[in-house]
Amino acid sequence: MSTDESPPPGDDEERYRRLLDETEHDTELGLEMGRDAQRVSAGELSELEFYRRYHDRIVEEFDIDDREIDLPDPDEAEPDDVGFLDRIGSALEGIDPDGEESRRSVMKKGAAAAGAMAVGTWGSAQTAAGQDDGHGGGAGADEGDGTRWGMTINLNNCDGCLACMVACNQEHNLSRGANWMYVFAFEDEGQGDETNFLPRTCQHCTDSPCTKVCPVGARHTRSEDGLVLTDYDICIGCRYCEVSCPYGVNYFQWGEPDVPESEVDDAHQIDDRGRWVGSRPPEGVMGKCTFCVDRQDGQMGEEKIGTTACEEACAMDAIHFGDLNDSESPPNQHLREYREGQENDLSEFPNRKAHTASTFKLMEERGTEPNVRFVGNEPSPHAEQVEGPVAYEDMGLTDDRKEVLDEGASATQGGESA
Amino acid sequence: MSVDVSGVDRETLVRPIQTFSKRYLAALAVGLGLIGVWLAFYLQQLQHGLIVTNLSDWGSGGGVPWGLYIGAFIWWVGIAHGGIILSAAVRLLGMDTYQPVARLAELLTIAALTCAGLFILIHVGRPDRLVTSVVPAWPTRVQWSPLMWDVTVITAYFVLTATYLALTIRYDIHRLRDRLPNLLDPLYDVLMIGYSEKEDEVVERMVWWIAFAIIIMAPLLLHGGVIPWLFALLPSMAGWAGGVQGPSFLSIALTSAVSGIIIVAAAFRTAYGWEELIPDAVFRGLSQWLGFFSLIFLWLQLQQVITGIFAAPTTLQHATEVKIATPLYWVAIGLVALAMLYAFAASLRPELFSIRTMVALSVGVLAGTLAEKVLFVVEGLQHAHFALYDGVPGAYVPSPTELSALLGTIGIVVLFFLVVSKVIPVVELHAIEDDHEEVSP
Ligand code: SF4
Ligand code: SF4
Ligand code: SF4
Repeated sequence: MSTDESPPPGDDEERYRRLLDETEHDTELGLEMGRDAQRVSAGELSELEFYRRYHDRIVEEFDIDDREIDLPDPDEAEPDDVGFLDRIGSALEGIDPDGEESRRSVMKKGAAAAGAMAVGTWGSAQTAAGQDDGHGGGAGADEGDGTRWGMTINLNNCDGCLACMVACNQEHNLSRGANWMYVFAFEDEGQGDETNFLPRTCQHCTDSPCTKVCPVGARHTRSEDGLVLTDYDICIGCRYCEVSCPYGVNYFQWGEPDVPESEVDDAHQIDDRGRWVGSRPPEGVMGKCTFCVDRQDGQMGEEKIGTTACEEACAMDAIHFGDLNDSESPPNQHLREYREGQENDLSEFPNRKAHTASTFKLMEERGTEPNVRFVGNEPSPHAEQVEGPVAYEDMGLTDDRKEVLDEGASATQGGESA
Repeated sequence: MSVDVSGVDRETLVRPIQTFSKRYLAALAVGLGLIGVWLAFYLQQLQHGLIVTNLSDWGSGGGVPWGLYIGAFIWWVGIAHGGIILSAAVRLLGMDTYQPVARLAELLTIAALTCAGLFILIHVGRPDRLVTSVVPAWPTRVQWSPLMWDVTVITAYFVLTATYLALTIRYDIHRLRDRLPNLLDPLYDVLMIGYSEKEDEVVERMVWWIAFAIIIMAPLLLHGGVIPWLFALLPSMAGWAGGVQGPSFLSIALTSAVSGIIIVAAAFRTAYGWEELIPDAVFRGLSQWLGFFSLIFLWLQLQQVITGIFAAPTTLQHATEVKIATPLYWVAIGLVALAMLYAFAASLRPELFSIRTMVALSVGVLAGTLAEKVLFVVEGLQHAHFALYDGVPGAYVPSPTELSALLGTIGIVVLFFLVVSKVIPVVELHAIEDDHEEVSP
């Protein structure tokens, strides 16, 4: 669902009740909180009282992990702290005790509570309704609060030069064959021998199977911006995330990494929460595209926030990275411009789509809610990978990692790496 | 069909404990040898990482990230799960015929669960973190990750089986203490802490309830649930999805377990001249069960093949077509079918039956179920819904390191039975003495 379309604001309690009932959490709690929130905004109830009234029940309901959020201490909470409800909102957003699924339901809950608030003077119904699908932004949060990094990749622009793959491999010190970015060249039925291209990153799915199945919570969704990351300190290397991901974007570190630890800077590895999630994984641990988490955390300078190495390397303007919750971000802008350039004739057929541009998300029917959108033709089930104009080897890349691993396996005596 | 083995004396029962033979030493050497081979390979893996296996990444990586280790893990869990179900059924339904092999089945469960756990340990990239990562994550992850369900349920079954075994062993040790080696007295003292004859009746009731719990939970746990769910719930691979996996896994578990019990029971019978203690009738009965479970196994395979090729979704159809084009799959099916046919033929014409043949066919069944399970994992991975990768059907042949682990775990089971049979009676006293007579000093 696109973020700039939001359902019409509703103001009846029934609607929020239904919204809340969809979550697995206590409906009454949500509704009560919503009502009391209105009283807070009307000045009938102090914020401190509001906090005290619900703190225990929130903890009980959502089993808050205090590492990840900071609810204000009731004794320290400033009674006239205006941003207080916002903080409750973002606290709800930050709750991430057991992965994405629960985060989603908490979001729905929080969003619905915020929606109920919106009936009064607080917030906007749009914030609430826009969160129905559990995406990014938090309940009652300001626009800027709910970052959801994502991409629009325009396949019509891609010429298969593989520059993005090279850039990603270099920036993240990847071992040979661990192609976090992978560019397919393929031919499809009904398209003759025309070659199409599909650059594939991790889709940073909002409803990601990989985070659900991880037995130890190493694979997780960063609540502040929806990045799907792997905590290299926790991962046990079971590879369950890899078999559960429908896109085949995970690359395990089977042996010693090609680039040793001493050559990788901490700033690229440790994110703003202090967790080791960036650059290539150590041996025995899972890796995949991080949406350049170090860039998004400002470790490579302010100007690199909201950019990725692959996007920067693409001379064809195929990759557009940014905050999908921000309608002015490059991915949203590109999509809009592209669509506007292909307007449909609505004069005679007013019920047609406004544009003729073909867009898709990869295997959306798997229910993963990918955060990468493509412009262009989706490969059919009969599409076949072919050799592109530029060979992987010519760019110093390894396509089939198995070859490297086999070498390594037979040369273990010499401590060969891969 | 009931057999009376109550004429057998206690001497016969404790024969493994009181004798010592060259054959025993030879078996011990084989067991230790197998473990040694595996350890030598495993040290390589510890040193260099999983690169020494033939695994790779699926997708552009041209291989499979799960292979023999996971296939063998499932196989051992299946043997374990089936073993405990059979022993519980014997207790619950009073199937006295099989009482002589009930404890063997429980012991097999313990040994097989140990092997399954070992396969998890050697499968993961960071075995050093198994405790430090899994324990703190347990409370928040157990409701999400099927792998965490597995770890939990396997641990629970291990505890359940060990308790079950410990409870019933106390009765025997108390009554056979004078025939057990003095050397192990400290061990028996520990096992017998707080024992009084009054507990026998209570224990019998407890054992009945544990058996009841095992049977009730069987369709949900291990091969009835968490193990197939490890695959069936994923959105990624066509060949894994579907509700048929639960029943299908359970049928494999029971088939493998009966085969395992036939082999172990025959080994003890031959080694200790236990023709009276484990009479022919036990094997005839077990082989009928094997035939019946094999039939269900084959029926469920048929279900999968038919639904997979007749107007199935593209990826599932492809996965099924490849499966039925794989010779190894038909070898596996053939081995199970052969055992089934023999078992049925022998029940119609009893003179056809021989324990030796049955043991050979059981070995075949175990090979077949192992092959089927490894294929399930590997071929499952080779047919992703996202089929664009040229490398998706990457080739996979287990490396020597991986194969050695299979030998190692078989060695562990051999060693386990050799050691345990020297310590406790592997056939329970109840099998030869129906009544709860008082101890005769
Ligand atoms: S693409 Fe795969 S690895 Fe990435 S978030 Fe989605 S499921 Fe997880
Ligand atoms: S490989 Fe690591 S990140 Fe992936 S599921 Fe296993 S523990 Fe989690
Ligand atoms: S977003 Fe970053 S990590 Fe992901 S493919 Fe592009 S360069 Fe690589």
